[in-house]
Amino acid sequence: MAASEEDVLRTEIRWSFVVFAATALILISILYAGLVHGINPPSNIETVDPKTLHLSGEFTEGNLGTRVEADGGVTVRVVTTQFAFVPQCVVVPTDRKVTLRFASPDVIHGVLVAGTNVNTMVIPGYVSQVHTTFKTTGDLLTPCHEFCGLGHSQMWAIVRAVAPADFKPDAQGRAACDGR
Amino acid sequence: MASSRSSSEESRFTVLAASAVGGILAGGILLGFLILPVVQGRQAGIDPWTAICRSLGIAPGTPAAGSPISTAAARPVSRVSWDEGTLRALAGAAGPSPPEAVAQCAACHGDAGIATDPTFPNLAGQSAAAIFKQLHDYRSGARVNEQMSPVAQGLDEADLAALALHFAARSKGTMDATARADRNHPVAELVLRGDPARGIPACNSCHAPGSGGPIETPILTRQNEAYLADQLRRYARGDRGNDIYGRMRGFSAKLTEDEIRRLAAFYAWTE
Ligand code: HEC
Ligand code: HEC
Ligand SMILES: [Cu+2]
Repeated sequence: MAASEEDVLRTEIRWSFVVFAATALILISILYAGLVHGINPPSNIETVDPKTLHLSGEFTEGNLGTRVEADGGVTVRVVTTQFAFVPQCVVVPTDRKVTLRFASPDVIHGVLVAGTNVNTMVIPGYVSQVHTTFKTTGDLLTPCHEFCGLGHSQMWAIVRAVAPADFKPDAQGRAACDGR
Repeated sequence: MASSRSSSEESRFTVLAASAVGGILAGGILLGFLILPVVQGRQAGIDPWTAICRSLGIAPGTPAAGSPISTAAARPVSRVSWDEGTLRALAGAAGPSPPEAVAQCAACHGDAGIATDPTFPNLAGQSAAAIFKQLHDYRSGARVNEQMSPVAQGLDEADLAALALHFAARSKGTMDATARADRNHPVAELVLRGDPARGIPACNSCHAPGSGGPIETPILTRQNEAYLADQLRRYARGDRGNDIYGRMRGFSAKLTEDEIRRLAAFYAWTE
């Protein structure tokens, strides 16, 4: 039985309401994440050569981890690589602004620190920078959330948030999970 | 079929569609350039005007955190960079006649890349990228061995690629089928699935040829058992540190001695 033009029109209008509702729901969740959880895209674009990341500069193996800079800011540098975060555990103080900087020498990875607003992709060729303030102490699970290869599901790290009194950087301003 | 709609109906639709598009555009501008930046700016301690300018892209974002570089002398990590030149050198075919330097290798790695001593590594059928990287690392001092380092230091950059291509093209020969490792061996779980709880990735997520892992990942199958176990112990102790970003050191220390032995045996006796 052929539907009349009226019927077709009515069905189309009904479906358009469903589409509008779905779009509105998605928009509202994005707005909620942005306004309440402070999740936002990176505010700067900074490039870095992934082929020579390990050779010199900021993301050499010896320079990774947590460090209190000369100006008192806390910076955490992490390399995401197939299939590990380097270092696997980083220590950060709570109630203090922390800058996290990530770079990848191989493929796209993702970083999500559970229970915080830290959620970013790490794209080879760029530095992903996130500012945050950790509010609760504890070992926060940090999985890779961007499929990066066959070992993706074994790729996770720990962000150890400790009370300011327990955050004890050494003379060079470095702090590590094992108290290196 | 001619349209039966009146022109007044038609113009009503135009107005409706135009205002819908305009409304969405205005809403988007309001949300994206005003509400979100101002609210998020307040959370980050940025004044509303700067926040709006930044969202429009006319003011720069937070400057990159300056990066004071560690001056502590780290152990030399690998100096290999997988740039175009290197990749092109390794993409070629092995020359028709073996490079001259091959003569130096035979005493230990055999004429055809099958080692003369079971504690030495076989080179036959190894990936060219892996051989190149290891030779480069012995030469730069990132990997140290009293037998290999002096040999590698006597080679020049062009030799490395030629030798890598030469040995990669050699055949491993056939394996005694009765010695084949049991695919259902408990250690196969680590090889194929890893151990997420301990943060150990499946070995084959990098070591299976074509798995998409790092390009320099060596092929482990049919490698000498004693050599494999010895290298895993070195990674665990930190005696071998030329793996870029600790890809092997990272989890080797979590392997038990028993697992190391079983993994070495598994790979050595797998085709
Ligand atoms: C005196 C013996 C000796 C000679 C000669 C020698 N090698 Fe080696 N080679 C070794 C030993 C032993 C190792 C393992 C060293 C270690 O544990 O770091 C090794 C390791 C290697 C590796 C690393 C293999 C891997 O899987 O990581 C490569 C590649 C290599 N040799 C290539 C060569 C080439 C090419 C030549 C000739 C130019 C050569 N070797 C000459 C003894 C030798
Ligand atoms: C993230 C990828 C990755 C995973 C997962 C991985 N490996 Fe490796 N492995 C490498 C790379 C890359 C190298 C070469 C390192 C270098 O450049 O020195 C290597 C080297 C080795 C070597 C030294 C081989 C030689 O010829 O010198 C052994 C042995 C080894 N891996 C065993 C294992 C075992 C066993 C597992 C599983 C428990 C494993 N690997 C998991 C990437 C990986
Ligand atoms: Cu990943």
